Amino acid sequence: MVDRLLFTINGVRSMLGKLVGLHVLQAFLIIGQTLTLSAVLVGLWQGESLARQMPWVALFILSFLGRHGENWLISGILDRFARANAQRLRSQLLAQTFTFGPALVQREGTGNMVTLTLDGISQVEDYFKLVLNKMVNMMVVPVLILGVAFYLDWLSGLIMVLVYPLIILFMIVLGYAAQAQADRQFATFQRLSNHFIDSLRGIDTLKYFGLSKAYSKSVYRSSEDFRKSTMATLRIAMTSTFALDFFTTLSIAILAVTLGLRLINGQMTLYPALVILVLAPEYFLPIRNFANDYHATLNGKNAFHKVMTLINEPPAPQAPLTLTPWRPTDELQVKDLSFSYGEGKAGLAPLSFCFRGYQKVGIIGMSGSGKTTLINLLSGFLTPAAGEITLQGQTATTLHAAAWQKQLTYLPQNPYIFSASLRENIAFYHPTATEAEVQEAVHVVGLDDLVAELPAGLETQIGAGKRALSGGQAQRIALARAFLDPNRRVMIFDEPTAHLDLETELELKEKMLPLMADHLVLFATHRLHWMKQMDYILVMEDGHLVEQGTYQQLQAQAGAFQRLVKQMQAKEEKDAQ
Amino acid sequence: MRNKFPLLKMLKTDHWVKPFLRHYKRTLVLAITLGILTFVCAGGLMFTSGFLISKSATRPENILLVYVPIVLTRGFGIFRPVMRYAERLTSHNWVFKMTSEFRKKMYDSLEQDAVFFNSKYRLGDILGLLSEDVAHIQNLYLRTIFPNFVAWGLYAIIVVSLGILSPAMGLVMLVLFGLIIFALPLWSVVVNGARQEYEKQVKNALYTDLTDNVMGIVDWVFAQRNQEYVDQHLASEHELYATQAALRKFERCRDFLLQVMILLIALALLGWGASRFGGQFGGPANWIAAFVLAIFPLEDALAGLPAAAQETNVYVDSLKRLNALPPVTTSPTSAPQLTAPLDFQLTDVHYTYPATTKEVLKGVDLQLPAGQKVAILGKSGSGKSTLASLLRGDRVPTAGQLTLAGVAPSELGDQIADFIGVINQAPYLFNTTVLNNLRIGNENASEADVWAVLEQVGLKATIERLPHGLATMVDSAGLRFSGGERHRLALARILLAKTPIVLLDEPTVGLDPVTERAVMNTFFTALQDKTLIWITHHLQGIEAMDRVIFLEDGQLAMDGTPRELAQTNARYRHLKAVDEGR
Repeated sequence: MVDRLLFTINGVRSMLGKLVGLHVLQAFLIIGQTLTLSAVLVGLWQGESLARQMPWVALFILSFLGRHGENWLISGILDRFARANAQRLRSQLLAQTFTFGPALVQREGTGNMVTLTLDGISQVEDYFKLVLNKMVNMMVVPVLILGVAFYLDWLSGLIMVLVYPLIILFMIVLGYAAQAQADRQFATFQRLSNHFIDSLRGIDTLKYFGLSKAYSKSVYRSSEDFRKSTMATLRIAMTSTFALDFFTTLSIAILAVTLGLRLINGQMTLYPALVILVLAPEYFLPIRNFANDYHATLNGKNAFHKVMTLINEPPAPQAPLTLTPWRPTDELQVKDLSFSYGEGKAGLAPLSFCFRGYQKVGIIGMSGSGKTTLINLLSGFLTPAAGEITLQGQTATTLHAAAWQKQLTYLPQNPYIFSASLRENIAFYHPTATEAEVQEAVHVVGLDDLVAELPAGLETQIGAGKRALSGGQAQRIALARAFLDPNRRVMIFDEPTAHLDLETELELKEKMLPLMADHLVLFATHRLHWMKQMDYILVMEDGHLVEQGTYQQLQAQAGAFQRLVKQMQAKEEKDAQ
Repeated sequence: MRNKFPLLKMLKTDHWVKPFLRHYKRTLVLAITLGILTFVCAGGLMFTSGFLISKSATRPENILLVYVPIVLTRGFGIFRPVMRYAERLTSHNWVFKMTSEFRKKMYDSLEQDAVFFNSKYRLGDILGLLSEDVAHIQNLYLRTIFPNFVAWGLYAIIVVSLGILSPAMGLVMLVLFGLIIFALPLWSVVVNGARQEYEKQVKNALYTDLTDNVMGIVDWVFAQRNQEYVDQHLASEHELYATQAALRKFERCRDFLLQVMILLIALALLGWGASRFGGQFGGPANWIAAFVLAIFPLEDALAGLPAAAQETNVYVDSLKRLNALPPVTTSPTSAPQLTAPLDFQLTDVHYTYPATTKEVLKGVDLQLPAGQKVAILGKSGSGKSTLASLLRGDRVPTAGQLTLAGVAPSELGDQIADFIGVINQAPYLFNTTVLNNLRIGNENASEADVWAVLEQVGLKATIERLPHGLATMVDSAGLRFSGGERHRLALARILLAKTPIVLLDEPTVGLDPVTERAVMNTFFTALQDKTLIWITHHLQGIEAMDRVIFLEDGQLAMDGTPRELAQTNARYRHLKAVDEGR
């Protein structure tokens, strides 16, 4: 039940020590409050005046206020402790995310990483706040109360001791039952709870088929099904709370009755009986609190473990290269480079090639042929399974190297536009660019029209939730970013025009070609017309590099490249026949 | 003052929370009654036990004299957990029932704008927000509305029953409990409500900001500015921490005050008990312990109220968003009958988007006879997709005439689906079986029909290979249909629906040219006998069309057969050559 990982957090041991001390004091205050209140009640019962009870009343007030004042103190201490630790975890996780970079985000999903960093760590904070306190509370307070009970009346003490394991046993048994039930129904749950979102996502499709109105009933029906299966699970979970409640209240009732009977027989006096009656609910309070917060702590615990796994993950290997800016005589040589995604997904078969100077290299192939995987290896996002890389005469096993990435410009299919001003977006790689430099970049990539059209020109806010840009405009902004940093002499493109219409693509191509001069360009695409402008072409098929050479060489060979061209132009040949 | 309680203000005009309170009224009343009884039993248990042992300590000669308190003690001891169990089941069941109605209402409201739902909402990820809103409303009921009703019920019981015994004591309880039930929660809302709302705003801002930058993580890494971002994020988090610290500080102080109130109530009862029942040994003095002890279990009913009240500000946004959804209106459906031939006739059609000034279509004259296969080409933003939504009647021309067989398509309502089938860029597959997905086209299609169309679209072998054939769940573990396969499934749906007109809205964007060609060939073969309107910006496979139309700046720029254009139009020839990589 105790989470070992908890002991790895900062200052947890001294915190535990403090808590034990505070809870011992807490127990004494609870006992004091009970003893004094009982004394007052017994005095009044004996017919004494309230005035004669005043010292006891005063002590009761003091211990009551002391007890809750101490709670105030404890929760303050825990708040600060949990917040400090949550803050530390969050900064570690962020640092890890941003050093690991895209590979981690791709694996875990953007949404998941963001949720874990913000909500997940908030849950961890609550977990820290609750779990230590409840644990110590449950281990200290009932024991001390029990001591008092045994001292006053061993029979009542015995009843209290016997009920405790019974409660825990039932909670465990029913907890497992609820878990099993939840596991069994998890698949149904998922499906039903997603049904609503699914129907909203597909609402246009439903409309196109004239079904959207009738589907309303289905939404209702599946929500009702969801209610029924949720209730089935909840019933078991609530039964566990019920058992806890039942045993605690019933044992208070039993205590009251047995005390009453022995009082009638004269076997004991009112004072100890009253003390035990008032102490009994306090005895059960810690375990009830623990059970109530159990679910909150469970989420926090899972999030905590997930965060720790990510933080402790060793980063991908880095190649310690020292490189100079790419020169016309430099070479990137790759020998038997291969990659595997693990089971299920095809990787790359060993491939070798050599790029030299300011070559423009086209990488062509159909979807799923391995173009993007190759691009990710070359940009250092993925670590090769095997192979040898020689870069400016230095050997390495991976291209994950700061010195290499510093020279790269990467243009993906959908370049990301930050939610910021157009200027900040353009100057992203070179935040200190001068006004004249930015203006030039805007002009070179053909964004003048956009700037003129925007209400605040370069200062207009763009990106998610702001002014929407077309695919062509986003590509131009990415190009402008690349243009602004003249030290980046290597350009990597991953199907930059796949989503653009033909004419926009041609307009963009016109702007791109001059920018590619004096750069090493790696250009992955499935659009044939780019190949004419390439100095060297790699043809990919099913994870294999099936052919390489210049455009002329490949055209002359009856190989994979020719096959591709034929497939794309098949119709005309049929027409011609 | 009203601004301090935005929830109350919101509830005045609300049509999303209040109406549901009237639904299943009996269950609701039952849940609240059970909630009240739970605490009556809890207080009753301590009350009777206190009396029982006091009375027993006076050593009555006969055990029968304490028989009633003994039975009551046991009874309350058993009924308290039973009531609580029943109350939780009833209230949760009620809330989930309400959620079903709620979702239906939400769906009906969104359905009215179904065709534009995705373009309108996906960006802001309204889906997540809407499901979060449902959770918020559930919490509003379970954590704020129910406990408050229960507390008010208990309040009434305590004040009235003590008031009968002693009007003065009733008045004291009215004030002290009133402070706990009304004053503390209101104070919390006034002081902390705004803080809590601010906390939510800061959190949302952090959320958006972090999402934005994680999406752009590639650029941060390549720009080698990653540490810069981490520092920037941590700095902006400090504001959140400061707000949270202030929130918690107030809460700790408030929780202490609540305990002080309870202490005051206990002391009041003690004083009142001493003066009313005290003065001699036993006898009436047996009641003192009963009254004083009964008060402590009520703490559970009261302690959560201030926090619940404070939270309500956070729900206001959800309520606002929900109340902003268009109300459900039922339109009469007496659609006119269409008689063949199903020709489209466009005369000087203009279109301007609402709340914009730029005209997207500037006078389009066009006749599309039934059975013709026409490709509509143009750059993005040239008005192609607008034209498509006008043809389907989802939008109405701002000027000019557009008719299908003499009737404006918008007049047909949902019946348009019997005439026009649509395949767009990203055909949606529902998270259900392959069979159900196809039967969306025609609910009465037999399995044989389904296999027949699957063969037509070239997917028969693929589906046969699936572990459960037609009963395989789409997107279940390990199964993902590729882009091309999704388009083929969408086509199969259309074929089952047997619409005479099919509208293809850039169906192959993002596919590689070879797949694109194969998909389009299947489309053309399968749709041979139908009117085909194909909106595209690629020229792959265009020779199969009877006619090619070019839209430019909202007007027709070219119109002719592919052969004519190839001979007479240089621009067409150029584009065609580029598209083929020549």
